[in-house]
Amino acid sequence: MRALKLLSAAAIGIAIYAPAFAAGYPEKPVTVIVPFPAGGASDTTARMTTQKMQESLGQPVVVENKPGANGSLGAGQVAKAKPDGYTLLVGSIGVYAINPVLYKSLPYDPIKDFDLLTVAVRTPNVLVANPNFPANNVKELVEYLKKNPEKVTFASSGAGSSDHLTAALFWQKTGTTGVHVPYKGGAPAITDLIGGHADVSFQNLGAVSNHIKAGKLKLLAVTADKRNPAFPDAPTMEEAGIEGVEVYSWQAVAAPKGLPADVKGKLEKSLTAALNSPDVKGKFSDIGFEVVASTSGQFSEFLSQEISRWKTVVEAGKITADQ
Amino acid sequence: METISNLWLGLETALTFWNLAYCMIGVLLGTAIGVLPGLGPTATIAMLLPVTFGLPPVSALIMLAGIYYGAQYGGSTTAILVNLPGESSSVVTALDGYQMARQGKAGRALATAAIGSFFAGTVATVLLAVFAPPLADLALQFGPAEYFSLMVLGLIASVVLAHGSLLHAFGMIILGLILGLVGTDVNSGTVRYTFGFAEVSDGINFVIVAMGVFGLGEIIGNLENESTRTIMSKTVTGLMPTREDVKRLAAPVLRGTVLGSMLGILPGGGAMLASFAAYTLEKKVSKHPEQFGNGAIEGVAGPESANNAGAQTSFIPMLTLGIPSNPVMALMIGAMIMQGIQPGPSVMTEQPVLFWGLIVSMWIGNLFLLVLNLPLIGLWVRMISVPYHFLYPAILVFCAIGVFSLNNATFDVYLMAIFGCLGYIFRKLDCEPAPMLLGFILGPMMEEHLRRAMLIAKGDATVFLNRPISATMLIIALVLLATILAPAVRQKREEAFQEEG
Amino acid sequence: MSHVLQKKDFWAGVLYVAFGAAAFWIGRDYPMGTAGRMGAGYFPTALSVILMLIGLISAARALTQEGEAVGAVSWKSLALVVGSTALFGLLLPTTGLVIALVVLILISATASQNFRLDLKAAAGLIILVTFCSLVFVKALGVPMPLVGSWFGE
Repeated sequence: MRALKLLSAAAIGIAIYAPAFAAGYPEKPVTVIVPFPAGGASDTTARMTTQKMQESLGQPVVVENKPGANGSLGAGQVAKAKPDGYTLLVGSIGVYAINPVLYKSLPYDPIKDFDLLTVAVRTPNVLVANPNFPANNVKELVEYLKKNPEKVTFASSGAGSSDHLTAALFWQKTGTTGVHVPYKGGAPAITDLIGGHADVSFQNLGAVSNHIKAGKLKLLAVTADKRNPAFPDAPTMEEAGIEGVEVYSWQAVAAPKGLPADVKGKLEKSLTAALNSPDVKGKFSDIGFEVVASTSGQFSEFLSQEISRWKTVVEAGKITADQ
Repeated sequence: METISNLWLGLETALTFWNLAYCMIGVLLGTAIGVLPGLGPTATIAMLLPVTFGLPPVSALIMLAGIYYGAQYGGSTTAILVNLPGESSSVVTALDGYQMARQGKAGRALATAAIGSFFAGTVATVLLAVFAPPLADLALQFGPAEYFSLMVLGLIASVVLAHGSLLHAFGMIILGLILGLVGTDVNSGTVRYTFGFAEVSDGINFVIVAMGVFGLGEIIGNLENESTRTIMSKTVTGLMPTREDVKRLAAPVLRGTVLGSMLGILPGGGAMLASFAAYTLEKKVSKHPEQFGNGAIEGVAGPESANNAGAQTSFIPMLTLGIPSNPVMALMIGAMIMQGIQPGPSVMTEQPVLFWGLIVSMWIGNLFLLVLNLPLIGLWVRMISVPYHFLYPAILVFCAIGVFSLNNATFDVYLMAIFGCLGYIFRKLDCEPAPMLLGFILGPMMEEHLRRAMLIAKGDATVFLNRPISATMLIIALVLLATILAPAVRQKREEAFQEEG
Repeated sequence: MSHVLQKKDFWAGVLYVAFGAAAFWIGRDYPMGTAGRMGAGYFPTALSVILMLIGLISAARALTQEGEAVGAVSWKSLALVVGSTALFGLLLPTTGLVIALVVLILISATASQNFRLDLKAAAGLIILVTFCSLVFVKALGVPMPLVGSWFGE
């Protein structure tokens, strides 16, 4: 059934675009490696984007899930693939910016091994608390943390996850401490937060927005550069008086290093067109994602900033993860 | 009154032609793929997920739910026919179901599973419709301490799974617990027992262990005895349960339904315990515990009902809170997000058509399942009368492909081969693999919850006794342990006296 | 009475002790932590010690009590079934699914004394390979190459 759909999509695609791309790339299906299981944020990003891409590329774009080792297994595979434009990677902030500073041996180097194509989407993180938690805003939280050092539990979606590091960054910027409680993914962390078993957490806005609306979680601040239209009352971290805790979770596309220039151009064009098409944009904003669709140059610059920032956080917080 | 109008809305949604069609296609596809050895519900849904992307949200979720319980029933069929549990819940179904199949009662075992599942599905759907929100709030009472105590209870209960030596049951549980530790430690990020293979840094997948130990181990063991005994009884007695069977079935089905419904609500891994708990309960209340492990029909009826009830009620935390209680629900949430629906408490109020349509379709799906599968039983039973030397290479093929498809990695196939060796060794030494598998599932969860509970309680171990739910479960575990050990101790003493006398 | 070295209980004990000792040895460097903040080594160390104890009890039971003998090990079936499975993993990316399946089926089938490569077996082989290629690769999209890297692209 899926094969049929792909075939028919391909057939339509070829019928429409065949003249333009008759010669050269792509001549066969393009594989997009997602280094996480089906159904996660990277997977969703990849599938939503590629559905649109195959129209402009005129070839099926197949998403292949290759989970393992915080995404480094699949990313390592892409790093070793032929740079012919038929293997792409859709990964998260963790894959590109956090794994490289956290793990001593990684099967890839995000700067040396990849041709960075685009930051596809981003979503701000939010600081949320259980409704019964005594502090009602960031200022009260910082005071509470100072009075009760090593007492308040910060739930995260895993040791070395972006929300763990955001918490560490928050402690460093405010001079406070808390107890880091890691979970296996964001969902169980949010569950325990709602149930009152953990106190506060930095989570992706999309994952908690419904809980905030339902009053099951208390929103203290957004880690974005401006307020979120869905929650106009919640201040940004900067407005709450804390500088430098501006964190987004982002998803980006890359290919093995050494893409031919024309292939790279075609891919960038196709990606930007897909991401900026109104229906894809609308679908992303429904789930709390903001389309970025940066150029490859902007991505490179952004990535080196992110890597150096998290490197500082990891070193200052003495955060380790053996591998 | 509100419930009735809601259900009416659900009926209107579920009974449109296309939604009925998608429900049926889902159940059919799920059964067809789930019945292949090595492909359980999680693998089946992961494979078929992209098929649903083109559908409207309600239809997509109805179809996915259909695939889910279709695959689960298909998996039970494989467990009964060829002793291959494709998902943790069918491990116990295999224990007595396969023995029944060997005695020529495969049809009765399959029919029992189908009828038990249907009854449990019906009850659980009603529960879901009437009590979903309060039950979800109850589930939130479960924190790390409660889950740890629940896991302890589950672990003690798993001793009952073994019908041989008590010592080996404990040994195999501990062995399973250790195997479960392979991979990245959730609490510290330390990578343990991976021998440097990044492929197992997220732990060993349950399916690999089950396929290796049960699938390959069983095949090698059967080949060893090929000349001396036939694998399957040639005479197949009645396809349907006898009147006497039905009498024996009623109570286990009811108990299984209640247990499964309760455990299914807990998002932290409760549903996984449903079938194990039901088996333990049936063996404990039975007047003939010695029949368990040798083809007791109660050992199929209870767990299968519990399993299906749990499968339905595990939708409660997913739909009301947006919390996935198992890998399948995580995939369902992924599917909802792909459809532009943000799962969470507001789904019920903002998407009533989706919520109630899905619930009503679940019951309809269960009905389809029954109607589809009862006539198919004859076919399945004939399939296992295929000579074994034709059957086992095919089983091996499906195991290999199924295991490969988990992560699209050949590494997992090698790992399955290693567990095949181990499985054969266990058979030779009378070490039963079922308790090991439960230890394997519970081990990492138990450690995770224990350490998290201690972390949150700042190292105060009394937290497990201060919290009423946790304390209650620990007491039940203690009582259960006593009833397990008492007969063994008594027996030992009697033996000692006999030797003296 | 069978000799201790033939008893199932003895070898099961050896198995437990071996597993426990290996787990203990490999895990010796994992940080233990305290009861309040348990390290990664707390659980594994405790479990491996318990497993070794159970192993010792099992072995001791073999010394003091009657027990069943292990019996003959069918090395041939073990090698053929496990070997053909591993070979499938090796061949899948290199020769592709079709050849890997044929090899897996034929080698594993020789483990049975009833196996003959007659018309019926050949037909079964073709049906199974075709079924898997169509269902898994074409319909379900499992990323397995039908023809592997040894034969060009």
